[in-house]
Formats: sequence, C-alpha cells, structure tokens
Amino acid sequence: MANDPLLARIDELGSAFASGQLGRRQFMKTLLGLGLGLPAVAAIIAACSAAATASPAAAGAAAASAAAAAPAASGFDMNALVAAAKSEGSIYQTGIPPEWVNYQAIFDLWKSTYGIPINGTSTEGEYTSAQELDSIKNTGKPDVGDVGIAVAVLGKQQGLTAPYKNSHWADIPDTAKDADGYWCCNYWGAQAFAINTDAVKIPINDWNDLLDPSLKSAVGIDGDPTKANDSFFAVWSAAVANGGSLDNIGPGIDFFNKLLQSGNLTAARANTANVVSGEVKVAIIWDYLGLAYRDKANGAPNIKVTIPASGSLASPYADIVAAKAPHPNAGRLWQELIYSDAGQLLFLGGYAHPIRYAVLNAAGKIPPDVAAKMPAADLYTKVQLVTDVSKITAAETALAAGWKIVVNSQ
Amino acid sequence: MSAAGVARPTGKPATVEGRRGLAVLVLLPFTALVGLFLLAPTVSLLWGSVHSARTGQFTLANYSYLGHPLDLLPFANSVELSLASTALGGLVGLLIAQAIVSSRRPVIQEIATTFSSVAANFAGVPLAFAFIATLGAGGLVTRLFLDAGIDLYNGGFKLYSVLGLTIVYAYWEIPLMVLVMLPPLQAMKPSWREAAEILGASRWQYLRAVAVPILATPVISSLLLLYANAFGAFATAYGLTTGFVSLVPIQISNLVSGDITFDPGQADALAVGLAAIMALCIGGRALLERRSTRWLAR
Repeated sequence: MANDPLLARIDELGSAFASGQLGRRQFMKTLLGLGLGLPAVAAIIAACSAAATASPAAAGAAAASAAAAAPAASGFDMNALVAAAKSEGSIYQTGIPPEWVNYQAIFDLWKSTYGIPINGTSTEGEYTSAQELDSIKNTGKPDVGDVGIAVAVLGKQQGLTAPYKNSHWADIPDTAKDADGYWCCNYWGAQAFAINTDAVKIPINDWNDLLDPSLKSAVGIDGDPTKANDSFFAVWSAAVANGGSLDNIGPGIDFFNKLLQSGNLTAARANTANVVSGEVKVAIIWDYLGLAYRDKANGAPNIKVTIPASGSLASPYADIVAAKAPHPNAGRLWQELIYSDAGQLLFLGGYAHPIRYAVLNAAGKIPPDVAAKMPAADLYTKVQLVTDVSKITAAETALAAGWKIVVNSQ
Repeated sequence: MSAAGVARPTGKPATVEGRRGLAVLVLLPFTALVGLFLLAPTVSLLWGSVHSARTGQFTLANYSYLGHPLDLLPFANSVELSLASTALGGLVGLLIAQAIVSSRRPVIQEIATTFSSVAANFAGVPLAFAFIATLGAGGLVTRLFLDAGIDLYNGGFKLYSVLGLTIVYAYWEIPLMVLVMLPPLQAMKPSWREAAEILGASRWQYLRAVAVPILATPVISSLLLLYANAFGAFATAYGLTTGFVSLVPIQISNLVSGDITFDPGQADALAVGLAAIMALCIGGRALLERRSTRWLAR
C-alpha cells in the first residue's frame, strides 16, 4: 500500500474518519481536494462509515453497491475501486488453480499491482464449477470464481452471482456476457488437432484428413464424449465442420462412426501420457491442452497444434463475483485485472484465448513471441464460440442416444 | 447349521434350547453384516429396478433393454470377455499351480505364492497404463514385434478391444487361479498315486480315474470364481478403453454417473441382470464346493 502516496493518504484519512477523529464533511472535502471524482468519494465514504458502525462485511456490501452503481459507462473510477478493495484487506478465490491458464502469473500481477493478499486453499482452487456454486451458497467465503458457462448461467438463476460490468464490457461479444452483468466469459479454448509429426507423415489440416488409411489406431479423443466435455466438443465440432450445426450434432456422430469403422479411432484416451508417448498420434482436444502437451513433450516427440480448416467450436469459461462476497470491491477489482490488456495477454500466455482476443489482435497488441507459440490467428476465424446453454443441453441429449449406437455397433 | 442340532433327537430338550440361544447370539453380527451389506442393497436394487427414477411410479420399463439387441450387446461383450479370460487364466493358472506343487522347492513355492497374491490384486488404471506401455500401439512389445517385421496393429490386433481386454484380464486371472488351486493340488496325496501304481494303473489311468474326478470340482468352482471376477470388473476396462468397448459394468456407470445419460432406475435393472449372472456363478460354485471338500479336507 505504501508505494502509492495517494492511497496511503486515503487510508490514513479513512481510519481517522472511521474512528471519529474526522467529520464526514471534512473527510469528503479532503478527498475531493486530493483529486478524486465524486463516485469514488461516495464509495470510500460509504465503506468507511459502514466500517465505523457495522461489520466489515456490511462495509464491503455498502461499498460494493456504490461501485456497482458506477459501471464503466457512467464515470468509472478505477482509483476508488482500488482504494475500496484495499480497505477490504483481502480477496477469496475458489476454482482458480494457479497452474490453470497461467493464473499463477495473474496472481503475481495482482499482488505486485495491488498488494492485496489472495486467500482460498489450494483444494478450493481446484473446485469444479458446481462445487464453486455450492461454496458460494453454503460457506459465504468466496469473492470470485472461474466456472463453466452452464454453471455461470445457473449461478445467476440461483441468485448466487453479483452483477458487475467491467470497464472493457463493450469489447466483449454479446453472446459471451450476461446482459445484466451477472457473469462474463473471460477466455475460451477451441477444439484443435495435436499432431505427433514424428509419427504422422501426411499433412493434417482438416477433419477428412483423419480418415487417411495410414492413420490406423492413431486418432484419439479426450474421454467418453457422453461424460467428458472435451471429447463432447470434439464430436460437436466435427458436426459443424461436416454439414451439421449447433442445432444438429448428427453429422459429428456419423463422422466419428466413420472414423471408428476405418480403424483410425483408438480407444486410448488423449491425455498427456498417451499423447507424449505416441500412443495417440493425432489428438482431437482443446488447443490449450494440445499446446501444453507439446511443451511437455519438448520435441520428443514433435507435436504440432492446428485448428481444422473447416472450423471447430470453442467453449468459454466465465468469471463470476459472488452475490454474498465478503470483499465485493476486491472481487470487482479482480474483474478489472483479468479483463485488462495485461490480464488478457497473460491468459494467452497460458494458451487460453482471452475473450478480448479479436480486439487485442486487431489493435496489434499481441506480443510476437506469444503469437509465435500459438496456431496462427487467421486459423481461428472459423471458430465458433458456444455459449447457448440450451443448445449445449440439446446436443448432449442427442449425443447420448447416438453415441450408444456408435459404440455398440462395432 | 443349527438345523442339524435340532434334527438329532438324542440331546435333552433343555440343552438344545440353550444351544439354539447361543447359536442365535453368535449369528447375530453375521446376520447384521449380511443384512446391511448384501440383503439391503439387493432389496434396494430390485426396488429401484421396477420404479421410474423420475416419477417414482412402478414400472417395468427399466427392463426394456431385454428386448433390444443393441442394449444386450454389453451383456454379449461381457460374457465373451469373461469366458475368454476365464479359459485363458484357468488353463495357464492350473498348469503353473501344478508346476509349483511339483517343484518341491519351498523357495520357489513361496516366491510364486507371494507374486500371485500381489498380481491377483494389481488391477484398475495402473494396470491399464502398464499394458498401454507394453502392448499399446506405441508399446514396447508392439515395437519389438515391429522390429521383427510384424505389425500387430495392422494385423488386426488392438489392445483396446475384447481381445486386448482378455489379455489384460488374464494378468490377474492367472495368479488368482494359482492361488485358489494351490490348496487342492497340495492336498493330493502321493499315497493315492502310489496305491494306483501298485495296482498296476498307468499314468493316464491314474489321471482319469483318480486325479480328475477329485480335482474336477475345485477346478470348476475356481473357474466360476474367475468368471464372476471378470464379469464384475470395471476400472481396468474403463481406464483402457474409455467406454469404447461396451461392457455391463461400464453401461451401469454411464447410467449412474453420466450427466446426460443419468437414469438410476435403468442402472438398477442392468445391475439386477448382472447380479443374476453372478448369483448363478457363485451358487454353482457353492454347490460344487460341497462335493469336493469330502475328499480334500482330510
């Protein structure tokens, strides 16, 4: 805190006000004198006066409503939010594991920028999306979480998430955010081919290349599509690229049936061990997983990750602030950080495509060394982002019926 | 058991009553155990299998799989896999067990028994990975064959198939067979053979008239155990094939843990089918056991 004289001064004044040494009017005047805008001053005063009279949680809630009332469009004041977040003292995360999509670097950026401690056990960091909602509902501890899109929608329905529109709201596609701000997609992964180029000698650019007779027992997916999200999207992507659509997964099931009948589809799961050992020579998986496997293999074998030419699907994750967040401003400040250019580029460094990818790319803000490690940006032009939960459910149901026939007709 | 005591009319009535009271007392923990862990789950399974998971109403719809060839395929696969791995495990295991008994060297016997106990329990995902590293498309043995000019995978072999699973299952079926066949083989008395030889029996005649009739029951009951063991196995098959080979335990797991295919009622109905087959096996084993103990117990 001390590295920012302005914030240190606000802190000092705030505690003087909270303990009664400084009158409200005097406090307000001084804050305005420091050059802060009105909404910021209102937020700080709300936070501090509540702190003087009630519990810290109530202070947070009061400050939060002040912050929520002042979104990006209507004179957003970052300094006020930072001050309010700092006065809350900490932030509590669930479902944000440090090793996932570069979150460790984002945690480091958070700590070096704001100096606010991040709480939450490593077990809580590994929570599944559903567990995160449970934790918000039952413990009241978490401020922020990283969840699958379906769970984000569920969280809003159950009143477990708080509305907040970050200051880059306009950059984010309408399909990737809740109109009222109850959730927002932060990054996405697209279905890709991770190809062991030491073992596979033919070029593989599109879905039909996978049917080549030289690829016996070579093509693998990441689990049972009726259970695993990754392989479910592999089948659905094949549908979209082969005459189907988000409303028709049938052609994808047909494609995989063809792949199975050709003897090219192996039942070995496309996990790290099987891809790196060469058991699975062409893995149809999320691009970020394929890129992580490539780095893990480190040239033994050589793995190339590419996006199928006729397209594939992308599935986003979403970011939520808990409705009962004990540190609501810290939670909102976390949003500001991860949607900022710096935060978004860190996701990309972890091989997840940030939700503002197109905007950042168009503005030439993507560092060449980061871009060099990923499939080329133009390959992603045919990638479709799937956020409509009702379509996901319908596709899952259709797959469950169709996949049984594929497996049982061998 | 207590019925035998009652049937005998020689004891004084008071003693019989006392003994019966004691027998009931002794049986109480066992009855509780069987009730909690065998009867209660069975009843719940049967109940669940004839009720809709959604509405809770009585229905036979869960058993509709009996009329659909596609839904019966998991049973066909499971039966095929269990029969094949039982045959392989049974034959090899029996030969190894006989070799251990004949060796007469205690060190070999001890090592073989210890290894068998470990191997018989080595299953699940670790075993699946061990086999991927050995017989997978990029496995060590597969590569050795490739170096020798034989391409297993182009020749139609796949680890991730019923054939591949048979080999993997044999990995624990063989040592299990060794373990269960060692006691009856060790109980075969040399004096029986000597007696047969003194009476002029040839080696073949001894086998046919003495050894086979005595060992038939333990062998058959061991095979039934192996069969039941293979039929209920889940983790290894799932770890290896991620559901691409459709087996009954995998179907059940899909129905109780799948987000999309969730239907516990149907899972119960499948489990009843599985339990019926298992009960036949274990019941058959118990019947045979009764016959063989007469000879081998002493």
